[in-house]
Amino acid sequence: MNARLWRLYFLGLCTWIIAFVFALNFGIPADSPRDLISQLRFPRALLASAVGIGLSVAGAVLQALFSNPLCEPYTLGISSGAALGAVLAAALGINFIFFGITGSAFVGALLFGVILYFISRHRDTNNLGLLMAGVMLGFLGSSLVALWMALADPNGIQSALFWLLGDLSRARPRGAFFSLFAVLSLTLAAWGSWRKLDGLLMGEQDALTLGIPVPRVRTKMLILVSLLIAVCVSAAGMIGFIGLVIPHFARRAVGSLHQKLIPLCAIWGAAFLTFSDALSRSLFRPYELPVGVLTALLGAPLFLLVMFKRQGVK
Amino acid sequence: MTEKSLFGVYGMSYSYGSELVLNEVSFEIEAGEILSLLGPNGSGKSTLLKAAAGVLRLDRKQCSGIIRYRGHDFLKMDHKLRARSVAYVPPAIRAEFPLTAFETVLMGRSCQATTMRSPHYEKDRDAVREAMELCLCWSWRDQDLHTLSGGERQLVALARGIAQQAKVFLLDEALSNMDLNHQAAMGRVLKTLAGKGCAIMLVSHDVNLATEWAQTCLLLNKGKRLAYGKIREVFTEENIRKLYPESSLVVAPSPTTGVPKIFFGNQG
Repeated sequence: MNARLWRLYFLGLCTWIIAFVFALNFGIPADSPRDLISQLRFPRALLASAVGIGLSVAGAVLQALFSNPLCEPYTLGISSGAALGAVLAAALGINFIFFGITGSAFVGALLFGVILYFISRHRDTNNLGLLMAGVMLGFLGSSLVALWMALADPNGIQSALFWLLGDLSRARPRGAFFSLFAVLSLTLAAWGSWRKLDGLLMGEQDALTLGIPVPRVRTKMLILVSLLIAVCVSAAGMIGFIGLVIPHFARRAVGSLHQKLIPLCAIWGAAFLTFSDALSRSLFRPYELPVGVLTALLGAPLFLLVMFKRQGVK
Repeated sequence: MTEKSLFGVYGMSYSYGSELVLNEVSFEIEAGEILSLLGPNGSGKSTLLKAAAGVLRLDRKQCSGIIRYRGHDFLKMDHKLRARSVAYVPPAIRAEFPLTAFETVLMGRSCQATTMRSPHYEKDRDAVREAMELCLCWSWRDQDLHTLSGGERQLVALARGIAQQAKVFLLDEALSNMDLNHQAAMGRVLKTLAGKGCAIMLVSHDVNLATEWAQTCLLLNKGKRLAYGKIREVFTEENIRKLYPESSLVVAPSPTTGVPKIFFGNQG
């Protein structure tokens, strides 16, 4: 079992390195200046890795937090909350401070997260109700982003697309390093609570009787996940599906115990998004696809396939 | 409160909306005692058990009552200490995430470990193995929970409770889906635990099963305590008819062990 686990980590790391090299060498025409790689492609690949890690880990933690395997930043609308916060901050003119945008994205994500938390605590809410509420919140947030953009500027819909479909082209060296650092520290913090996250998988009541201080863990994890999502969304917009697909496959590979799951989610998430982003800008050169379109194109059929296969086995 | 009692619930009331589900219910369990909690559907048995396990207070504020473990206020104890004192075994464990039986029982150890230890720490593994062997589920330790039947999952849930190495066990319909073999085996396990000084509280719709193992009995009707005491004193035809008025039930001693059992009367 342990050898298999290391093999999976190793495989993921290799895939990520290959994707990274691929991302550095393909995409933009070859006659561009030399520092293209160091100034554009390298930070972009770095940011893709950071966001991939962040969203996958956020998805895995959210699934434990709400003990529902269909939760993730995008389906629960928390990404929309973050995007809304970031857009408002940019509009109010505090975009010259990097922390300003990330900070208000955090406020937006936390606000949506807290709303969901209270909805999930309501006694008539089941898993389905929670997801419905999340999807509705997501629509609300996205529409408000689009509305704000359209009202602020006649071409605003174009930039709204950045937030709504995700785009890694705004990566800059310093920002990318900051994102990676933030995401890695938050991932480590979540990893440290693996036993508590494990207990939450059994539902709130069981977790309590297993000795897990559920209210405290939930508050801590909600803040942690909101921070993760804020860092990712403020740098790259809303990228869907990663938070759902990567934890799902990682669980099938190593089971649900978070000590093994979170590192695997991080590695696979980084590899998947780096690869998707490299593809999204090289497939239809010179045009770029928003990376969210590609993750959904790759992720959704794969996900459905696995679902059907699983149904067949039952 | 007597000196001997290990665990006690005093004046427990609980309301769900405007409906009063539990009305001032009290009981005590001593070390070595098996207490059986009986009552019709909706009488508040599960609610009482969950309240005693300390999981309801978080949900709503309409819950009052005192829970004491060895004289301490149970709800003010540290969460890990609570789990090391009282184990709650639910009627079913969730299987929405891919988890093996072993990993599920391992979660029962989270109250024992310090934070950064490996889950395969030898002591944990030994405790899990012991609990699973006791509950006859060691042979499917590597199987995924959702491939197991309801009864098999209940064995896993019981093993998880035993792995907590608690002193008090609260079992909520925890044997209801097991076959007769497993029920008999788990009855022996419960008696062994009681023999080691544990206190066990058992909710079951299988009345005859409950009287076989328990020494004391608490009858609950519409959230109120109907009777509480030794099985032979409480388990009378009069009390049973109050609990289940629609069916003509007869109480008679078991031909083999002599404890009172319920039979259907002539339905005519």
